[in-house]
Amino acid sequence: MGDRPLAETELVALAQGGDSRAYQTLVEEHQTIAFRTAYLITGSAADAEDAVQEAFVKAFYALGRFRPDAPFRPWVLRIVANEARNTRRSAGRRERLALRATEDPLSGGAVPSPETALLGSEQREELLAAVEELREEDRLVIGCRYLLGLSEEETAAALDWRRGTVKSRLSRALGRLRERMEVRA
Amino acid sequence: MTELEQALTRLGAEIEFPETPELAASVRRRLAGAPRRRNLGRTLALGFAALAVLVGAALAVPPARSAVLDWLGLRGATVERVETLPRVPATAATALELGRPVPIEDGHPLVKVPLVLVPTALGPPDAAYVSDAVPGGKVSLVYEPRDGLPRSRFTGVGVLVTQFSGEASPGFVSKLVDQGVTVERLTVEGRPGLWIEGGPHALLFRGPDGEILEDTARLAGNTLLVEHGSVLVRLEGEVSRERALEIAASLD
Repeated sequence: MGDRPLAETELVALAQGGDSRAYQTLVEEHQTIAFRTAYLITGSAADAEDAVQEAFVKAFYALGRFRPDAPFRPWVLRIVANEARNTRRSAGRRERLALRATEDPLSGGAVPSPETALLGSEQREELLAAVEELREEDRLVIGCRYLLGLSEEETAAALDWRRGTVKSRLSRALGRLRERMEVRA
Repeated sequence: MTELEQALTRLGAEIEFPETPELAASVRRRLAGAPRRRNLGRTLALGFAALAVLVGAALAVPPARSAVLDWLGLRGATVERVETLPRVPATAATALELGRPVPIEDGHPLVKVPLVLVPTALGPPDAAYVSDAVPGGKVSLVYEPRDGLPRSRFTGVGVLVTQFSGEASPGFVSKLVDQGVTVERLTVEGRPGLWIEGGPHALLFRGPDGEILEDTARLAGNTLLVEHGSVLVRLEGEVSRERALEIAASLD
């Protein structure tokens, strides 16, 4: 495929032409965010894996409907999240989101500074518990935007909402989270 | 960003998600497995071969395929707009590569393919061919020139209807077009389709690495592509858009 790494638009163009190796590279680049998004929705690593694998296969066959000037990530996250919702529905249950903060966030030798200060472990557990107590819609929008770091556009694609809806629901979800944190404090 | 939002962002960085499984390889295996079910030997030989149709007025001879400027597609078919077209043979009929002729009975070709669509608006075809030169095989129906069906300078026949298994090889029929050619996305009886008009195009296959297999290339005229369930139908002839849509709508 040449000496330099191919840009995403080039990889997409190759994949659209049926190049499965180019598509494999695209999958490698997006599999982690796809898996975490599916995990946020299904609450199960096994279900998330099934959903993401299925979604990437479907996305390959749907590449004909992808506009090459559009960003690939929101497009594929929409398919992943949709598949994750289907998987969860067929599983007939909704497991509690089992997010677990890393035990020792300082093990990497990072020096906390005011800007990048890591949360104290107690504060972190409180915040995580408060997020998990939220209603699903609130938890998903906060999860997508902050825990996964998705953009507004990507969050809208993953949750199948309009961007305006993401804005308003996020604002309400933060309000309710703030209330919960105050109750806990 | 509020303090709460900052705290959430930091929390996101610290959360230990389950380890991402190795998905790329399993996805690739699944994709490679689909055509293999049909014809193992052929599929291994061709990989994701792609049939491409190049569209353009000028046929330059660039050394390699030029940059893709635009893209439209269906299941099993792609249309790419490029700066310059690769070289294709100027004479079409020799490169039609229709395969072997098959008899026609009661208006339908006798082939061992689960679904062969015949455009009832044109009646029974004058000839039919099958070929396994592409993954999933292809069936071609030939309609000789007659009133309302002028002889195509590209195929030498009136209308050529070719059917591929769209699932056997995604991105398999692809068309490169240049700026002089119109490509329109449309639907035929609710089925997704593409109409290509305004310049000759060249039909060819792509190999597993996307390279153009030159010996399969030929010129083609106005073309309508329709995704008919798992079958991709390609209708080519010197007919108007309306006539092509009418013929495609009668596929049965």
